[in-house]
Amino acid sequence: MPTTTASAVCTTVGNNILLRLTSGERDVKLKALRELKNQIIGNRTKKLSFLKLGAVPAVAGILSDAVSAVDVADNDENDRIVKDIIVQSAAVLGSFACGFEAGVRAVLDAGADILIQRGCLVEEMPLLKSYMEVVDAGARSLKMIYQSKMAPKYDFLQEENMEFLLSLLNNESENVSGLGASIISHSCKTSLEQKLLFDAGVLKRLTSLLGGSLIQRDASLESIATIFKNNPEVVSQFVGPDTGRTLSCIIEIVKDRFARTRLLASLCLIVIRNASPCYLQDVGIKTKLINNLLELLDDPGRVGDEASFAFSSLIAEKEDMQKLAFEVNGVDKLYNHLQKGSLHPRRFEGILLALADMCSKLECCRSRCLSLQVLKLVVDALAHDSSDVRSAACMCLRSVSRSIKNLSAGSFMNETIVIPLVRLLDDTSTAVQVAALGAISNIVVDFTTRRSTFIRLGGVKLLVQLSKSMDSTIRLNALRALRNLIFLAEDKCKEEIFMELTASLLASLICDPEPSVQEQALALVRNLVDGRINSVEYIFAEDGIILDAVGRQLRIASKAEIEIQGMYVLGNVATGKESHKEAVMDQLLLRAENKAQSCIIKFLQSNDSRLRTAAVWAVLNLTCSSSPGSSGRLVKLHDAGIVSHVKNMVNDPCLDVKLRVKTALEQFNSFDDSLASTSCLQFLTVRAVGELSHVVDPSSKIPCDSISNSCYVYVTDFCVIYSHVANSINSQCL
Amino acid sequence: MPVRVAESSAPSQVSGAHSEESSPPICSLLTVGQAFSGTQNVSNLQKEEAWRVNVRIQGCDLEHGYLCGTMEALNVPMADTPVVTFWEGEIVDAKNYTFYTGKWEATPEDDIRHWTKFPSFAPLLSRVEADGGKSLDLSNYPYIFMRWKEQYFVNVGTDCGLTIAGFYYVCFSCSDGSINGFYYDPNSSPFQKLELKCANEGRSGFSFSSYELQ
Repeated sequence: MPTTTASAVCTTVGNNILLRLTSGERDVKLKALRELKNQIIGNRTKKLSFLKLGAVPAVAGILSDAVSAVDVADNDENDRIVKDIIVQSAAVLGSFACGFEAGVRAVLDAGADILIQRGCLVEEMPLLKSYMEVVDAGARSLKMIYQSKMAPKYDFLQEENMEFLLSLLNNESENVSGLGASIISHSCKTSLEQKLLFDAGVLKRLTSLLGGSLIQRDASLESIATIFKNNPEVVSQFVGPDTGRTLSCIIEIVKDRFARTRLLASLCLIVIRNASPCYLQDVGIKTKLINNLLELLDDPGRVGDEASFAFSSLIAEKEDMQKLAFEVNGVDKLYNHLQKGSLHPRRFEGILLALADMCSKLECCRSRCLSLQVLKLVVDALAHDSSDVRSAACMCLRSVSRSIKNLSAGSFMNETIVIPLVRLLDDTSTAVQVAALGAISNIVVDFTTRRSTFIRLGGVKLLVQLSKSMDSTIRLNALRALRNLIFLAEDKCKEEIFMELTASLLASLICDPEPSVQEQALALVRNLVDGRINSVEYIFAEDGIILDAVGRQLRIASKAEIEIQGMYVLGNVATGKESHKEAVMDQLLLRAENKAQSCIIKFLQSNDSRLRTAAVWAVLNLTCSSSPGSSGRLVKLHDAGIVSHVKNMVNDPCLDVKLRVKTALEQFNSFDDSLASTSCLQFLTVRAVGELSHVVDPSSKIPCDSISNSCYVYVTDFCVIYSHVANSINSQCL
Repeated sequence: MPVRVAESSAPSQVSGAHSEESSPPICSLLTVGQAFSGTQNVSNLQKEEAWRVNVRIQGCDLEHGYLCGTMEALNVPMADTPVVTFWEGEIVDAKNYTFYTGKWEATPEDDIRHWTKFPSFAPLLSRVEADGGKSLDLSNYPYIFMRWKEQYFVNVGTDCGLTIAGFYYVCFSCSDGSINGFYYDPNSSPFQKLELKCANEGRSGFSFSSYELQ
């Protein structure tokens, strides 16, 4: 037998209520409002149904009519009904907005927030003002609206707005003062707004509310944190006789019996500490905060979800806090929560990020994670439905893989980890891709021979593809991974990577519009040409486009990091064969436009000691005593003014530079004698060539007929002449 | 280098006097990727013996006074292949570590006895005896002092008959990258010497590569 469905019943009931809302009879209207309120309270499904039936504009209309109908001269009965209608319609609207974004949107679209503010709270309604129920109902509703991100931005810069806000804060009603605090928490974003609020003296009132009811305490804690967040100036102005009391008060509240209050108090202290680290330095307080947050993880609700994020903000980038957290078994506690399984995505994300922060700087934390086999759970999270969880898992992996000890042991370079990570390089979310690239960048720093695992699983193809991305962040991070992958890679591995990358792509990345991409591309090439001597040949592929690109970047770059990498590329190439060294010389001696001297002179004079070091190494490698062409190159470097610059660096303030310069000078000195004779022989050679009827080929032997005994003169670039003279040389010839 | 069975332990951080100025200089020859080769004298009363040794730096964290790498010993009689170990180093920087070891069965007297075998330690001796060298400014000193402790075998099993019980007192010359070291293990012949030079692996000059952990 067909029966009416549940939703059909709802619709019938709903239509009935809405019909009665339009009644001209105030009693009927009031009753309908109460029924509607009871229907939707805590019931998302019903809220949605009534939303679709147009309940919100209808109730907003009722509220507006009721506010207009307020008449101070009216009798008590009418007055009471109008008041009740205002209270109930405000409550209904507030309920629609409570934790229900579609409801918030509908309420804002209907202009109900303004209606409530004017109708329930504004001073001009003396009659209503005496009815605390109306004021309270309005405040409660507005507070629910202001808990949503979609709530309108409150303009603190308007004087009347600030006055109204202060009147809310100073109101005795916890709902009204709580509303004032909520407005601050929601809308105060900029440091200017923080300063305005601070200067308006809201902190005094907020501090007094810390001793109020639960609602006032919680709202006040959130507002105080908002005013101080990332604003050391405001925090420093907080210094005064009141400071100690406020801080002590908040520290006490950290032990409150309500979990949410404990969380808010902790967050407040964290914000103060992060803005101005001179506060809250006591180890006792730090440990208390850490322990409090770790305990809050046990809360099954939203407080537990958020506790790990608060924990992260407490310890992020702070080694001392991470150490304290480690000492109270922070890693184990976080792991225990991870093990529970079926975690809400927000909680899962938070715990993974907390672990990532724990392992960001301390090897003891990473070791503990690895011994607990945390990675197993982290790797599972790489395939989670939520992109935030996937991202967080990558960040956790990235932190743990900073362990050089474990990288050396090849702990991460296995299929269990590499396969799901490589898969994320193709993720729909850019944030996940970037996070995966971060983890991969570390994992590929492998000192075993397991890089091939990564290559075999398609990792290189994807990295190279990502290095061509339109998104510069992706390009940059892909290059970082490739650079690390090539570090100390075996020949076969390098070959495979280079074939995928190609010389033209590398050359174009060296000239990328983004300086940080240029830097990584150069660092990649630096690693590419290191290792076995035949690796240097890569830079000469496709007619030397990579080397040309390096030289070009060095001549135009202005960022030290780029110059350092570029110089190391040239320095590395200069450890190769003679032809390699000569190619480096060509690049160094090429002038940039409008520049009178080689770029290397600029680098030798840089304020950055790393750049000075790199430049001196290049000179050292070019003039290496074991190379036959070195003295000739030395002459050229000397003529270009480079040698004298190096000589001037003999007392460089950086020890490393000073020691390299010392070695360079020793090298130069070993050529000094031959330099002197070279100059002399150069002159003589020119004369000799002029005298002789033969055309001189620079590398040929020249038999000198008029020499009484055999004399073979080898001429190399007119710089170095090796002569073998059996007897005295005929002066006519020479 | 391996001597006899014992347990290995990881270097731990010792909090000492903090001084921004007195950390060792960053030396380009003591960076990741750099290779060194030479010998370790493993002679004892019975016989003279030396192993060829190659070392490569794999990790370097100067802020924490940490270094690590591998050591490969060739022509080891009881092994069929070269034996590779992974070691971790403590850099004596007066911030993270002092000249006093404080573990691995090395007494302060053992420490002084070993450090004084390095000529470059002589100017520092009196200060070290006074306070472990905490007040020393090593930032412009052209030698870096370290302890290297092998952590595990990379390519052979622990049943190979070799052990990594002891550690090395090491002196690195920033000038030419040469390394001298003395192996310390209470259960083995004293002062086994490690002598290494910076290797340029067939190149004419020195080549440098790098990685950056994210």
